[in-house]
Amino acid sequence: MISPFRQFFQHLYARWLGHRLPPARQIKLNTRSLFIFPSKAGFSFLLLVVLCWLVATNYENNLVFGITCLLTAIFVVAILHSFANLSGLNISCSRVSPGHAGHPLTIELVLQQSGKRLRENLILAFAGHEPVAIDIAATEEARVKLGFVPASRGLIDPGRLCVESLYPLGLFRVWTQVDLNIRCLVYPSPQTVLNRRTTASSMDADEGLMVQILEGGEDFTGLSDYRPGDSPKRIAWKQFAREQGLYTKHYGSAQDERLWLDWDAFPGLDTEARLSRLCGLLLSIVPLDVPYGLKLPGLTIAPNTTDSHRLQVLRELALFGLSDRGGER
Amino acid sequence: MTSPVWKIHRNGLFWLLVAFAAVIVLHADHLPSWILLAASVATIWRIQLYRSAWRPPSRLIKTGLLGLCLAGLVVEYGSPVGLEPMVALLVSAYLLKLLEMHHRRDAYLVIFLAFFITALDALFDQSIGNTLYIIGCLSLVLAALLGLHSTDADGGQLRPLGKAMAIMAQALPLMLLLFIFMPRLGALWSVPMQQQSAKTGVTDTMSPGDFSRLGRSGELAFRVSFEGAIPAQQNLYWRGLVLAEFDGRTWSRSSLSPFQDSNLVQWYGEPPKSWDQLIERKGEPLTFSVVIEPTQQRWLYALDTPKPDSEGVGLTRDYRLISAYPLRSKKQYRVNSWPEHRLEPQGLPPQHRKVYLQLPEEFNPRTRELASRWRKTVSDDLELVSRVLTLYNSEFVYTLQPPLLGKHSVDEFLFDSQRGFCEHFAGSFVFFMRAAGIPARVVAGYQGGERHPDDYLVVRQYDAHAWAEIWLEGRGWVRVDPTAVVAPQRIEQDLQSVLGSETDFLADSPVSLVRFRHIGWLNQLRLQIDSLNYNWALWVLGYDQIQTAFLRNLLGDNSLWRIALALTGVGGSLLLLLGFWILLPRHRERSRDLLDREFLRLCQKLEKAGFPRQVGEGPRDYAQRVAESRPELARQLVEVTRMYEAMRYAGETPDARTLARTIRSLRINRSG
Repeated sequence: MISPFRQFFQHLYARWLGHRLPPARQIKLNTRSLFIFPSKAGFSFLLLVVLCWLVATNYENNLVFGITCLLTAIFVVAILHSFANLSGLNISCSRVSPGHAGHPLTIELVLQQSGKRLRENLILAFAGHEPVAIDIAATEEARVKLGFVPASRGLIDPGRLCVESLYPLGLFRVWTQVDLNIRCLVYPSPQTVLNRRTTASSMDADEGLMVQILEGGEDFTGLSDYRPGDSPKRIAWKQFAREQGLYTKHYGSAQDERLWLDWDAFPGLDTEARLSRLCGLLLSIVPLDVPYGLKLPGLTIAPNTTDSHRLQVLRELALFGLSDRGGER
Repeated sequence: MTSPVWKIHRNGLFWLLVAFAAVIVLHADHLPSWILLAASVATIWRIQLYRSAWRPPSRLIKTGLLGLCLAGLVVEYGSPVGLEPMVALLVSAYLLKLLEMHHRRDAYLVIFLAFFITALDALFDQSIGNTLYIIGCLSLVLAALLGLHSTDADGGQLRPLGKAMAIMAQALPLMLLLFIFMPRLGALWSVPMQQQSAKTGVTDTMSPGDFSRLGRSGELAFRVSFEGAIPAQQNLYWRGLVLAEFDGRTWSRSSLSPFQDSNLVQWYGEPPKSWDQLIERKGEPLTFSVVIEPTQQRWLYALDTPKPDSEGVGLTRDYRLISAYPLRSKKQYRVNSWPEHRLEPQGLPPQHRKVYLQLPEEFNPRTRELASRWRKTVSDDLELVSRVLTLYNSEFVYTLQPPLLGKHSVDEFLFDSQRGFCEHFAGSFVFFMRAAGIPARVVAGYQGGERHPDDYLVVRQYDAHAWAEIWLEGRGWVRVDPTAVVAPQRIEQDLQSVLGSETDFLADSPVSLVRFRHIGWLNQLRLQIDSLNYNWALWVLGYDQIQTAFLRNLLGDNSLWRIALALTGVGGSLLLLLGFWILLPRHRERSRDLLDREFLRLCQKLEKAGFPRQVGEGPRDYAQRVAESRPELARQLVEVTRMYEAMRYAGETPDARTLARTIRSLRINRSG
């Protein structure tokens, strides 16, 4: 029964937060963006103050009364110090290293301040991820790398970044949840296509292709009609599977070296599974320095070996079929 | 967000242990020694835990330690009620918890306990020195709390303490404000007191030897400020207790109901009771205020015959002052006293007469016999009194080391040993009077006191004294001090003038500065320290009394809403100021100053080379002017000026170091 209520309030909170702290590339932490509230320890401290006050009153002891006043004053002054530890910081995201779904990628943040205040023990984290504690020493800029594990491919919003601090006394928690408008380019989770334990005779078409690439060590030159006696390893099963007839693949040197990452090579699988396999295949091919191209429904990228080509292919795999393409950023 | 396995880092642990040691030392003088031992063990264990050299105590060991501590407390104190057992219990919890810090919340508990235990020490000692030590302890505990939240950087070990001091300093104005404005409530419920009464002090019984023990102590009893001149030394009889009952050895307060404090007390502010008419007050009263050290008792000291002038103080039927509550901490009270007075001159009520003539039958036959013999030979009571005093004067010796007395203590004292301290004289005198049919009582209190150059009186434990009061027809109660006959200097000067050479004098206070009174500069120092402590006590204690008046003067009237308004107004502006100071970045200003300094250095350099900067000349014009006559410098000068202007005015990140380096690299030869 509690859960729907909770959901409702969380929804309200998120909406309110969206109004108060709308997404921005850079956010300055100030009275608008920072929240402060006594921590559990803060409330315990108040209990301590009450206890001291009771002792002072019951023993009619002015010195204990003075100590009670001092503790109260410390509590109040701690508000300012807690707030000062985060206030005035500019937070922005400097770089997002792309990664694969289900695998951690790093988001690099820049924290800048105009003064040279020493800020201790700032804790940063994306919701549900391992927090990172940093100090900003007398430098005016600090960089911090945060881990984030995206659940799916695409242009992923890591959610609001939570920055919090208990410094200096732990009596107050100062925090903010900022949306830095981060979009992480997340490639499909790579699915290993190659299984080294399988033998040639039990190979699937795609695995066969891989093995040929990896074991032949030669360059694929073309296909010819199958003649009995040809090695079963060299049979172009792919073409056979497409009912195009039985062919034998030929390898030679310095002829046509192009490979195709082909959507159609994985019949019967759904979109995500195909993309995963294509991605895995790509990762296996890249170290071989062989030109490769991409064939997706409605899209063909000519074979190449350059780095930018690789990134473009990965990008297409990441964004295939998605409406949000991040304005081709 | 805390990780499941929390481990305190090195800096945090360091400050935690420093604070721990400081708090234990703070309480060392009223903790059993085994707790100090346990504290050292806990510290070592904690350090070894941090180094992973030792294992954390198992559940069995923890339970065992807890049981051991509890058993120790029971053996040490018996009853768990009382201030010392409470503190000892908290300290044991504190040191056991130190071994069991698995989460940050455990560390919080340890630190909050430390705060509380530190605050409790103020119940034991409110001297200025101890107050400073308490403040030091609070800073260390605060540093420990800070240490928990700072990072474990190398070179940052002292940082928590610095920050803690800064926070304390910033909290101070607000603390004073709260201290001044917060209304004080009276005790809400009765609380356990200190179990051990002060080491020394007048008690409500008097046996031979009690007062000579007090002569061994130089501890402070109370201080008095007179409005007007301090009366002559021999008139300073600080009356505290009336001891009317004698059981053959010990004098004690009467157990009969009219003499219990709970009955017949006229509290300050109450309309006069019927027996108030029995007091005849004549002449001008003396007005003085007393700051008394905690005695854990209710009786107070005053000159004859007093009338209280402070809330919570009352006058008893036997003309003493008592406090409404036991004195758990220092207390200040004001008294008016009429040195010229007569008490009950018209006659004693029969039941009173009976009490003041009571004597146990089976003791001191020789004294009884002598008393009845003398009674028959004298014509009136006064003659009998002077005869007894003459007896004391002729043979008796006043000493701090009287011989031990047996069952018939008065007989042995009067006829055999004839050596004694004030209690022997007062006790035997009252016994003699009663045996002769004159109502008499022993009065215990202090006599005299040391005059401080700052015009107040310091009364110490060795000033404790006992004397007698007898009732004479037509004159009422009259004070008779047999000691004054035997050792007049004791009354006219002080104990030291009589017994200073006796080894027992101040034997319990071996390092007391009182001992070194004869050394001039040391005595000066002692008096100054005392003055400082007294003024501190007046300021801290007197605040309760003057707060009301002060607030009325300040605010016009001290209704609650005005206090609240003043508190929020002044406090709010204080916080606002502090907020600006803490939150606004000041560093830019500082770096700006640094830039200016570098630029001035450049100007000096150029001036030496023969190009003084003209009044009102901007940096750029100046550089251009110099560059025209020294074209070889033009490029560098323009560069430096650009850099300076950009950093100083255009909001570029100030970097005084680079600027300095560039200026230094500028080689200027004197122009020929």
